[in-house]
Amino acid sequence: MTSLTVRSAGRRRPIAYLGGAVLLLAGLIMFLPEGIGAFPPEWDVGFGPAVNEVQQWWISNRRDLGVYLYFFDPLSDSIDWLLRAFENLLIAIPWYVHVAGVGVVFGRWLGIAGGLAAGAGMLYFVALGLWEQSVQTFSLMTVAVALAVAIGVPVGVLAARSDRVYRVLRPVLDSMQTLPAFVYLIPVLLFFGVARVPSLIATVIYALPPVIRLTNLGIRQVPTESLEAGLMFGSTSGQLLRKVQVPQAVPSILAGVNQTIMMALSIVVIAAMIGAGGLGQEVLLALRHQEVGRAVEAGMAIVLMAVMLDRFSHSLVSQGRMGGAHHTEGLSYRYWWIAGGVLAALAIAGWTIGWTDYPTALQFSYAAPIDGAVDWARDNLYQLGNLPVGTGPFSDFLTTYGTRPMRLYLSEEAWPVVVLFFGFIAWWASGKKLVLGAVVGTIVIGLLGMWTLTMDTLSQTVVAVLMAIVIGLPLGVAASRRDWLERGMRPVLDTLQTIPSFCFLVPVVILFNVGRIPGIIASVLYAIPPVIRLTNLGIRSVDSEIVEASESFGVTRRQKLWKLQLPLAMPTVLAGINQTVMLVLAMVVIAGLVGGAGLGLEAVKGLARSDTGLGFEAGASIVILAMILDRITQGWAARFQPPSSDGG
Amino acid sequence: MAASEEHSNSPSDRPILASGVWKVFGKRVADAMAMARDKVDQSEILARSGCVVAVQDATFEVNGGEIFVVMGLSGSGKSTLIRCLSRLVDATAGRIVINGHDLGDMPELELRELRRHTISMVFQNYGLFPHRRVIDNVAFGLEVRGAAREDRYRKAEEMIELVGLDGWASNYPEQLSGGMKQRVGLARALAVDPEILLFDEPFSALDPLIRRDMQDELLGLQERLRCTMVFITHDFSEALKLGDRIAIMRSGAIVQVGTPEEIVAHPADHYVRDFTVDVPRHKVLSAGTVMAPFSPDMVLEGEPVAVSARLEAILPRLLTEGRPVPVVDERGRRCGVLEPAVVSRYLWRQ
Repeated sequence: MTSLTVRSAGRRRPIAYLGGAVLLLAGLIMFLPEGIGAFPPEWDVGFGPAVNEVQQWWISNRRDLGVYLYFFDPLSDSIDWLLRAFENLLIAIPWYVHVAGVGVVFGRWLGIAGGLAAGAGMLYFVALGLWEQSVQTFSLMTVAVALAVAIGVPVGVLAARSDRVYRVLRPVLDSMQTLPAFVYLIPVLLFFGVARVPSLIATVIYALPPVIRLTNLGIRQVPTESLEAGLMFGSTSGQLLRKVQVPQAVPSILAGVNQTIMMALSIVVIAAMIGAGGLGQEVLLALRHQEVGRAVEAGMAIVLMAVMLDRFSHSLVSQGRMGGAHHTEGLSYRYWWIAGGVLAALAIAGWTIGWTDYPTALQFSYAAPIDGAVDWARDNLYQLGNLPVGTGPFSDFLTTYGTRPMRLYLSEEAWPVVVLFFGFIAWWASGKKLVLGAVVGTIVIGLLGMWTLTMDTLSQTVVAVLMAIVIGLPLGVAASRRDWLERGMRPVLDTLQTIPSFCFLVPVVILFNVGRIPGIIASVLYAIPPVIRLTNLGIRSVDSEIVEASESFGVTRRQKLWKLQLPLAMPTVLAGINQTVMLVLAMVVIAGLVGGAGLGLEAVKGLARSDTGLGFEAGASIVILAMILDRITQGWAARFQPPSSDGG
Repeated sequence: MAASEEHSNSPSDRPILASGVWKVFGKRVADAMAMARDKVDQSEILARSGCVVAVQDATFEVNGGEIFVVMGLSGSGKSTLIRCLSRLVDATAGRIVINGHDLGDMPELELRELRRHTISMVFQNYGLFPHRRVIDNVAFGLEVRGAAREDRYRKAEEMIELVGLDGWASNYPEQLSGGMKQRVGLARALAVDPEILLFDEPFSALDPLIRRDMQDELLGLQERLRCTMVFITHDFSEALKLGDRIAIMRSGAIVQVGTPEEIVAHPADHYVRDFTVDVPRHKVLSAGTVMAPFSPDMVLEGEPVAVSARLEAILPRLLTEGRPVPVVDERGRRCGVLEPAVVSRYLWRQ
């Protein structure tokens, strides 16, 4: 780790440097000759067209390529077959068996109320006529999760047993988790085109890291003595793995599966852009046609599915933690046998009398009232009379004083100054190691021809992050002081973190229309939980003895907060800010769909017009931007880490 | 394999022989060993070679059926040493012979057989498998060596009863107290009928009272089982209580090996003496150790005492009578005399 000399050479740089640098660089612009504006477009190296040519060649030659004939195509066919088989199976089962079955499972694990709620949730999919889409999304996700687990667990085991494998894998997993889901779609598109299997492959890749990570972690966390005990009784290495390591890693593996399920669901929805179909497609189409009511219906279905799957896999985790055998086993088995029998009887009865589909007469829709509400909101909430109150003036305010000036400054003023500024921020936040990366990264973005768009996305990101911090930090501090507030906020934050990013766009469009601002609001909502959570956690985990010591000196509450709690909580708070930055970026990119402009919109255009090259350029810029932002915020957080005694 | 068949009726006289055993953690092993031989300080070796010399040049033997205690402060290398005896840690240099088989060049398969049948271990933090019930923990050793389910459960039940945990067989380790967990650890180790039992500070995580119970129970078990035990501890009084012989370790080296009495009566150096300061000597020392030589011209009165008698029993008489007391050996011959002045030197520092 960092040596003592680095630490003593001023770990943190005063915030005044930052202000000074802004003034200095602004001054620098004055002295530069006229005409140095945005990154010169003629320097675009033409990466996009090259990618398109590769793709053209690929498409015209893929029939003759061995990898396709003997690997990709059979693979793709078998996955497709699996997917269809699963879908057909689900569709064939009468709807009420699904409703009852889900109720039975949840009822067993979460009590009667849980069972009823889950059954009602299932009814929602059927009654709104979203059954087919739900089944599509669900099967795509299930097959993807199954594949991710089938690949991830063995890889995780391998990583746990070999330090070399782990060393290679770790940076890969790290960067995989910083990338917005969106960019996974683009390379898959190049090789597989638009269809369901490619979107499934993107899902598997995106959802893979948590299983691998947590399998590895779980196995590595098995206590040494447990391993030694296993060895001392003469276990072979296979016995050790089967009887000692994997069983003890099960809770951790299941936690990984839970994360994987949630990630898979969130991207399955986004993957509608490359042909995943299902509920995502429904939301996407509705948003495109500005049918907010329809979007809300499908969006709610996604949220419901997310919440149910999250609850389901959470109880899986707790079952795993308890070893599964603490229950009275006999009773448990009897419950499942009876429930299974009744459900099977119901299904058979349904098939014999031919009553499997939900009666159309009983279908309902609340799209119309929603659309009405949207119209009302537009007419009434947009601006209250002539007062500067309402979502319209708010949007204008944010645009005038936030996004627009920043965007213009970043994208139209002298680009070398902007690059310099990036380098400076990297140095200020985390030291000289990062400067080169930040400078080169920014220039590469320029060479990709994505300068203006990237600066657009960046300015939105910065505004959203600032808003999230300004709102989230005080909330976190408040929650750390009041238990009731913490308890009250927890379910809200849980829900915000469970909802797939895509669904945040629907309500903000109702209130803010389309444009950059709804994207920013959605980003703030989506990304605020980590700041609140980790600020609260950081302050609460300050050693109570230290707090008491300060109280014995008679500090005021304010002094305690500023001199003690916040500084000590800083590493945790900054870890929260790092997560928030990454979430904001992911959301800002997706907000391209609702007029957020910037890189996201460009990538969507690339996907929509099958201009893969464009998608690649935008995707690569997103990746570079994500990497830079991640390293800067992580480096910044690392600076606040108290020097550890074991380093050296 | 051959070793396990001659089990119990004729335990080898010297089940464990260790000679010149070294364990060095780090890369520049040779440098570190050379420095350690030149009596260079541990921290200096670490600074100069990046190596930790955990065990240096340990030579000792363990007799069949005895409790051999290795005692030392934390970081003295005792845990590493016991791990070398079962090759959980590979010794860097030296020879370890278990029941006549050299551990160092033992092939993987033979090592596994040795662990399955001959050696067992009890761990400091119990080392129980949290996902297995008590009975499955106890039966683990039998399970990995392929015993049938009924057989291993029968044996496990027996062991659970032996350590006094009847009725807890279907509980999970987390539901047990520390003392009970260690009983499970003990039952698990005993279930494979080992000839050699290794204990790595098994009682140091327990409360003092429970620790005392467990020590008594271990002594009781040893009366019946007569295994060869190697017992690691950092608690000198525990060493005195359990050990037939004690090896004292300091910075990886064994500084003295001897019976409890030898060590208390004749500590090899200041380090060892420091441990013995608080020992209630009258409970450890016997007449034979503290007696002065007997000369025929002495006129002695009173009932003689046996060489093996503890001072504890003799002291009241010595103090009330204030006269020298004769000592006789097993055959009743006078062999020495207890002089109050000499005895008091032994009792209150020398």
